[in-house]
Order: sequence, then structure tokens, then C-alpha cells
Amino acid sequence: MSSTDLADVEFVVRSLAQTAVDKEEAFGDLDAVVGDGDLGYSLARGFEKVLADWDSFKRDDVSTFLQQIALAISSRIGGTSGPLWGTAFLRASAAAKTLDTIDGAAVVSMLRGATDGIKARGNADLGDKTLLDALIPATDELERQLAAGASPVQCRAAFAAKTRECADATSALEARRGRASYSGARSIGSPDAGAAAVAIIVERMVADWP
Amino acid sequence: MKKFVNDPQQFVPDMLEGLALANPDTLKYVPEYNLIMRADGPDRNKVSIVQGSGSGHEPAHVMIVGKGMLDAACPGDVFAAPPLDYVYETTKLMASPKGVLLLVNNYTGDKMVFDMAQEMSSAEGIEVKTLFINDDVSVEDSTYTIGRRGVAGNFFVIKAVAAAAERGADLDEVIRIGEKVNSVTRTMGVALTACTPPAKGSPLFELGEDEIEMGVGIHGEPGRRRAKMMGANEIVEELLGPVVRDLPFRDGDRVALMVNGLGGTPISELYLLYGQAHKRLAEQGISVGRSYVGEYCTSLDMAGASITLVKLDDEIESLLMDPAEIPIRVF
Repeated sequence: MSSTDLADVEFVVRSLAQTAVDKEEAFGDLDAVVGDGDLGYSLARGFEKVLADWDSFKRDDVSTFLQQIALAISSRIGGTSGPLWGTAFLRASAAAKTLDTIDGAAVVSMLRGATDGIKARGNADLGDKTLLDALIPATDELERQLAAGASPVQCRAAFAAKTRECADATSALEARRGRASYSGARSIGSPDAGAAAVAIIVERMVADWP
Repeated sequence: MKKFVNDPQQFVPDMLEGLALANPDTLKYVPEYNLIMRADGPDRNKVSIVQGSGSGHEPAHVMIVGKGMLDAACPGDVFAAPPLDYVYETTKLMASPKGVLLLVNNYTGDKMVFDMAQEMSSAEGIEVKTLFINDDVSVEDSTYTIGRRGVAGNFFVIKAVAAAAERGADLDEVIRIGEKVNSVTRTMGVALTACTPPAKGSPLFELGEDEIEMGVGIHGEPGRRRAKMMGANEIVEELLGPVVRDLPFRDGDRVALMVNGLGGTPISELYLLYGQAHKRLAEQGISVGRSYVGEYCTSLDMAGASITLVKLDDEIESLLMDPAEIPIRVF
């Protein structure tokens, strides 16, 4: 495991956290359409904690670092968002434990860990109109790009584009999980707030990549 | 609404501090994690029994910590799941070579937090399992749950698993007993009034002067129907019927019968309900082996009650009869 690996992971987490804090109001508005409007608030409180505690996280390796992030956000985010986002980081941490280097394949396995964790914890799957509908196809796309020998820059661009495309496509789905599911058919026509938030987070991450 | 409260945000810590000061020989308060634990714990020779939940259900669960009952209770704020780091730290603090059992009433928020704490502490080598209690027959899914809610019947699960743990049972055996008791325990409740969280200062929901909520959850969540106020015997009928039919309890069964107050109903009224429930069971050939009347799992100051039945066998009855010592005491 090189220090570059950890630096990349740190960049990803920091960028995600900064977007969650900066976009509190925008994410809240996305969620207010059919949910209960607390997504922006919840994520901002959790990732604010990540930014505040940034220097105190243990950095023995990528796995340890991500486990600390999981604990920090889950402890601060109320409702179900905390455990869901926390589980994503926890499972990514578990996947990273067995890896020697954070290459493209490693990123895929960490993302798979994260999405499988969200599926299990939230009892949700593809098509339920959740952030999984953006994140799973985007991970598939990343895997395809890697297999085709794409460069890191191409991989990141393709990942962001797929996340955006699929987040937008959740508009056609009916919510079956989470608070938005109380709105049933009314949820059709608006994108899932979690998926749309993930798209915004990924787009900024890729645009700012050092 | 008049309440004894200073800073509403400090309501739970203030309560816990008082509880610890009143029971210096038996309880320890760890303010960093809202934790109430046995002063002599954790006992390395037994499975540690921990229950987590929101506050506002007292005596559940911080006031039922003691020998023969919980080793620790991990409460959140009023009606809110405890934060993950509290549960995680509590699990590590209560780690015993024989394992830790985390008991949770089935509410989605609590379930997620305790599942995650279990996953994190397992990864660190602690033997820890979770067991979810779902005794409420009122509704199948609700505002806060997938599946049935866990309510006052969790007292019997706690009592039985704690007794088994004191006797030296291993974690698998303790879980077997917990699952068994949960599988024969059924509850249904009714609210006569709403409840008032200290931080809110006003009733959590609207319930008309002449209305009652049949099948209410322990946070005031809707149950089966909003009904007009009726006589006590009729209320017993409407609670006991679904409970009896659900398992079902049959002619010849021996049961534990609990009438639990939801916080704002005098014990005199609870005994009135008990008398009728006892007689109605007798008419159906169901005999009461053990009786429980009082406040076990409340909803702050809600007026109302719940009725719980547990089907007894020799094993369950013997575990329920083992000695226990908790802060709720008269002498």
C-alpha cells in the first residue's frame, strides 16, 4: 500500500464531504419533492463531522481510515441515512483490508462492497428508486472501462457520466424504499434525491481530481 | 403542558444522573455514551445482555439494569435510536469472553444502528449477536418498522435471556431462549391520550377528547383504528381478542398476563383492566400462571395500556421465576 493510494482515498472522501456540506440546501430541495426534505441536513451534519475531525483520523492504511469515516458519519447522521452511508464506508473499508494497492479493480471491489452493504442494510435493490440505481450501473461501467483498457482519466469521466445518466433516469421509477415510498406513484417524474446527490458529488469529484 | 425539565436537550442525561445517584451500589453511569451498566459488570463468566432503544419508555430500559436483568442499557434521546458510536463503545465495554447479546425492539432506525454496531465490533473480534423483538400484533408494517413492532412484551425476552445468562448458558443457548420467548409473546396497546416529548413541549399527535387509538405503538404511532371512547371491559375485549387469536392461545394454555401502563394511567385503572382480562381468559380455558401489573414499557406521559400474553412452559416459567434485582423497587 503506497502513500499515493491513501492520498487518493483521502481526496475522494474529502471532496465528497465538502460537496455534502456545500450543497446542504440543494440536497434538501431535491429530497423535499417527494421525501421529507432532511437529506441535505442529514448529510451535511454527518460530513461536517468528518471535516471537523479530519486530522484526528487514524491513517494506518486505507481500511482503517475508511472505518473511522464510517463511525464518524453514522454517529452524527440521524434517521436511516446515517447507517446506510456508514455501512457503505464500512464495507468499502472491509474490501480494502485485503488489498495491497488501490488500483481500478480495487475501486470496483470497494464500490461493490459499498453497494452490497447498502442493499443489505436498507433492504433495497436496483429499481427501488434509491442511490443504488445510479451507483451500481456506474460501477458496472467502471468495470467495463477497465476491462477495455481505458486510462484513469477516461475511467473517471465514464463513471461520472454514467452516474449522472442513471440518476436522471430514476425519474421514471416509483419509490419503493425510504420515506419517499410513502408518496408511491407521486414519486414518478422526479429523480431520486439520493441518486441525484451522488451524481452531483461524483461530478465535482471528477472535475476537481488533482 | 407542564413538565419537570431544565434544558430539554439535557433531559436524558439529567435522568440518568439521577438514576445513578439513587443506586450507587448497583449502577454505573458512563456519561460519554449515555450508558447505564451494572456497577459490578461486565461479568466475564456470563453472556452480557444489553438492550438499546430510544428514551421515553422508562423503566425500559435503563431502570431494568441489574443482576438477573440487563447488564447494560444503551438509550438514545427521547424516541430516537442511540447514536452508532454509543452502541459500538457500549458493545466493546460490555465485551465478555462468553459474548454479548444486543436486544432491540424491532424499529428500523434502531435495527440499522445495532446491526452496524454488531458488524463493527465483530470485525474487532468481539463475539456479539443481535436479537430483535416483535410482539405487537396490531399492525404488520408501520411508520417506523418493516414487520411487527417490538413493545412491552420485550420484558419477558429480557427476563428469560438474562436468567439463562446468569445460569451460565452460552450465547447460542441464550439466543435460542430469546427467540423462543419472543415467538410465544403477543401484545396490543391502546392510547387514551397523546404523549408530550420534553423537547417538544406539546403533544406528539392529535387525539380528540372522546377518541382513543386502538393498537397504538409505543411512540404514539397509529394502530388499527381511531375509535370513540368506550367502557373498560370493551377495551379489554378489543385488545385481548387479537392477542389471543394471533398465536393463537388455546383452551388449556398457561400464560403470563401483563397489563402495562403507558405512563399516564393510574395503577388502579391497570388493575381494573387486569381483572377483566384475567376473567375473560379463564372463560376461554386459559389460566394465568404469572401476572404482571404496572409500568414496564411506557410512552412518556401517555394515558393508556397494553396487554401482553406469553405462553408458558416449564422452561420459560422457571426462567421468569429466577431472582432479579433492578432499581424499580418499593423497599
